[in-house]
Amino acid sequence: MSTRRRFAQRAAEAAQRRGAIARRAVERGARSEFLAFRMAEEIYAVPIAYVKEILKLPPLTEVPRAPPDVLGVISVRGRIVTVRDLRRRLRLTEAPVTRRSRILLAELLPEQGGSGERVGLFVDEVLNVYRLAEAEIESAANVLGSELAEYVAGIGRQGGEMIILIDLKPILAVAGKPQPPRGPAMLGTRYGTGGGAF
Amino acid sequence: MVDQRDEFISEAQEIIEGLSRDLLALDAALKHGPGSGAPDHELVNDAFRAVHTLKGLASLFGVARMTTLSHHLEDLLDDLRLGRVDLTPKVLDVLFRGVDVYGRILSALRAGEPEPQREVEELLMALDAAASRPAFAGVNPLAEYELDPGLLAVLTEYEEHRLRTNLQQGVALFKIRVRFELATIDTALDSLKAKAKPHGEILTYLPSGGGGDADSIELDVLLASRQTLDVLTTELGDTNVTIEAVARRGAGGRTAQSDPPDTVYATVGMAPRITSPPAAPEDDLHGNADTGSFNAPRVVISALGSIMGGGGGGGGIGGGGGGDDDVPEPPPVGLSIRGVAQTVRVDIRKLDHLMNIVAELAIVRGALGRVTDRVRASPEQRELGMELHRLHRSLDRHLSDMQGGILEVRMVPLGQVFDKLARVVRQISREHDKDINLVITGAETEVDKLIVEELSDPLMHMIRNAIDHGIEYRKQRNGSGKPEAGTIALNAYQKGNHVVIEVQDDGAGIDETKVLQQAIRRGLVTESEASALLQREILSFIFLPGFSTKEGVDELSGRGVGMDIVKTNIGKLGGVIDVQSELGIGTKMTVTLPITLAIISALVVVVAGRRYALPLASVLEALVFDPGAVRNIEQREVMSLRGSTLPLCRLDALFGLAPIEGSIPARRFVVVVGVGDHRLGCVVDSLIGQQDIVIKALGKSLQGVRGFSGATELGDQHVGLVIDAPSIVEEVLATSEASRLLGARRLGGGAA
Repeated sequence: MSTRRRFAQRAAEAAQRRGAIARRAVERGARSEFLAFRMAEEIYAVPIAYVKEILKLPPLTEVPRAPPDVLGVISVRGRIVTVRDLRRRLRLTEAPVTRRSRILLAELLPEQGGSGERVGLFVDEVLNVYRLAEAEIESAANVLGSELAEYVAGIGRQGGEMIILIDLKPILAVAGKPQPPRGPAMLGTRYGTGGGAF
Repeated sequence: MVDQRDEFISEAQEIIEGLSRDLLALDAALKHGPGSGAPDHELVNDAFRAVHTLKGLASLFGVARMTTLSHHLEDLLDDLRLGRVDLTPKVLDVLFRGVDVYGRILSALRAGEPEPQREVEELLMALDAAASRPAFAGVNPLAEYELDPGLLAVLTEYEEHRLRTNLQQGVALFKIRVRFELATIDTALDSLKAKAKPHGEILTYLPSGGGGDADSIELDVLLASRQTLDVLTTELGDTNVTIEAVARRGAGGRTAQSDPPDTVYATVGMAPRITSPPAAPEDDLHGNADTGSFNAPRVVISALGSIMGGGGGGGGIGGGGGGDDDVPEPPPVGLSIRGVAQTVRVDIRKLDHLMNIVAELAIVRGALGRVTDRVRASPEQRELGMELHRLHRSLDRHLSDMQGGILEVRMVPLGQVFDKLARVVRQISREHDKDINLVITGAETEVDKLIVEELSDPLMHMIRNAIDHGIEYRKQRNGSGKPEAGTIALNAYQKGNHVVIEVQDDGAGIDETKVLQQAIRRGLVTESEASALLQREILSFIFLPGFSTKEGVDELSGRGVGMDIVKTNIGKLGGVIDVQSELGIGTKMTVTLPITLAIISALVVVVAGRRYALPLASVLEALVFDPGAVRNIEQREVMSLRGSTLPLCRLDALFGLAPIEGSIPARRFVVVVGVGDHRLGCVVDSLIGQQDIVIKALGKSLQGVRGFSGATELGDQHVGLVIDAPSIVEEVLATSEASRLLGARRLGGGAA
């Protein structure tokens, strides 16, 4: 518990520091920092400024009838956080949980195009931080034509490595999409959908 | 910066609520009063003060439109209290619009949007129109009195107006001389005002110009009263009190007080100390007589027959004669800097934080209890075990007290919402030209602050519905022998761990046939099915989205939005809504809500190896599940419970949970949950026990998931989902009702 917290805290602090550096870099139009991680043998990365914390896997509570990419909920210092599985979003093969599995706590503020909700993203392994210059980032449109394109912001290349840069907006902007009403089942659902059966 | 803005918003909100209450009181007085057009000046004053304060606040925080609006409202209220404008329902309408526009400005601020421009401008025009000022005419009654011109010169416009009004109505004037301790002048003056209020009106109080020393000040209070001098002396004074009547010049006006005016002037000029010797100990509020000064007001009444006269009095009076646009509040600023209010404004999130800490402590307490039991179980540690046990019990008690204390802080009276609703009723009834009496009971019933916030919209919808669909027009009411004014009753009371709020009207009631016709027209039921429906099932159609029997769409409702949203919002608060109606007699909507959302007792159960919390408020009982007693009716499982049919729900199947290996129990349980009048038996694998839990919201990304009201920490780092019993009951019964409609009549019967 306390090790995890300390780790998480250190990670958060480091992330904040890096975030600050990354922002400065962006301002200079030079380099941005990305946190790279591995999912199903590929290297992916997200802007490090959006990653608030990296957690080891705490006990997960599954949520019946949740969207398929929701792994469950965890408690982070008293706050309930939904954990989503990026692999399911990106249609990747799901390797079993190992001791390297991590959860990235990511948050996109509404002004950044997100919902403001802090969401946990499951990844197979956290790698390192890449500083990518603009010239090292290729637009995704050239590379991919598949349904993944929606989630890919670009491709980074550095030292022979290919890093898929993930666009967190479609993943974290859940609240922007119309959701079915929450709370008790409405009579509307009852007769509205059942009406045809009569 | 953000904090400051929040502070401003919440403070302004409070003031606006107060203003709204004043206006409502004015409205009530206008309706039931003699209709003289002379409003209760105290109320108008309060309203004026509220707007004045808002103006100051708004300009401090740079909320420009609010400042302008306040300024204009202030003008109108000023005209009202000076009698330049009569209080009419129309004027009140404009004032009430002010309250609304204030509210809109605040919500715009809260949302970070610009202040609404159009509404403010429209209202400003309306305000200007309302404040058309007729010239103030009338004889000058002041001339008849022995009033010193020096005094008149320092009266504020408002004070002069009140003086005139009182004299016109033939009220006599009295002068009271009081000596106040500077340190306590605020409270002492208030208590004097309170004592004098039943007997008359305090027109002004000014320093007498004498009698004071470094620690005290002497005030002359001018009182208009219909009482005799004797009565006033008994009521206001003790041995130290003297009150004098102000002489009248007119023939019959001169009272028995015939002291020559010269003496009067002398009195004021020389400020004679006709007082008793310094404080008798029993009069000393703080019991410290050693200073030789008074803490209690010394009421000194000179034996003379005139009001503070003499040009010389002006020296003392000057302090009180502030600018005429000032609020006529006591001028002695800076005499006491100690605040009177003993309250602290607290952000509700801070309370949530405290609540979280208590919940963590409760988990520690649980762990400690287990350790204690282990220690007590070992024979050689017996003594240590007993001691631990005692400590544990004491911790337990104090923790419960603390929890109770925090919960209590979160509680606010429902009156906060009811005041808003009263405003809505007034506005809508005027728009509709329907007379409506709003009868409120139980406004003091307390509910969690968060619930109160979320409650105002649903209740407003219900009230709108009651006025629009419920209460008939006058003609119709006359025709059916009802009193012309409709009645809407808003009742609140506590019932166990719940609060019940009823909105009842004596209107036309809901026409079941119309509801059915509409339901058939929309293909919700077929005609043959319709004949089988029970009354409450028919009525429940009104909670469907877009369902309205009213043909015309108007300002108020009938747009087909409303009741479904009401139901959703109430459901979010963990509440249920029921409707009863009788054609021609009226409709009653009953909302049942939990008292608090912050912390609840729950039954922790295991389903397919996973733990879930079921709020105890919805649990009726738990029994051992006997698979042999299960019958199948129309593919639905039911069992008999004490002679009635109990629909069953296997939670593992409902949630689509695969059993964890080796977790299939030999014996299962049925937890009977009740929501409103509905009951449902939930089949679970085992019962773990009762636990106090703090419900935490699931993230936005899970808002579409049905069946859970949140999650909670169950200790050992594990998160358990909290089952939303009303939602489960409704979901399960809905499907069984659907199958019942297909043929079997009895199935839903256990629930209906």
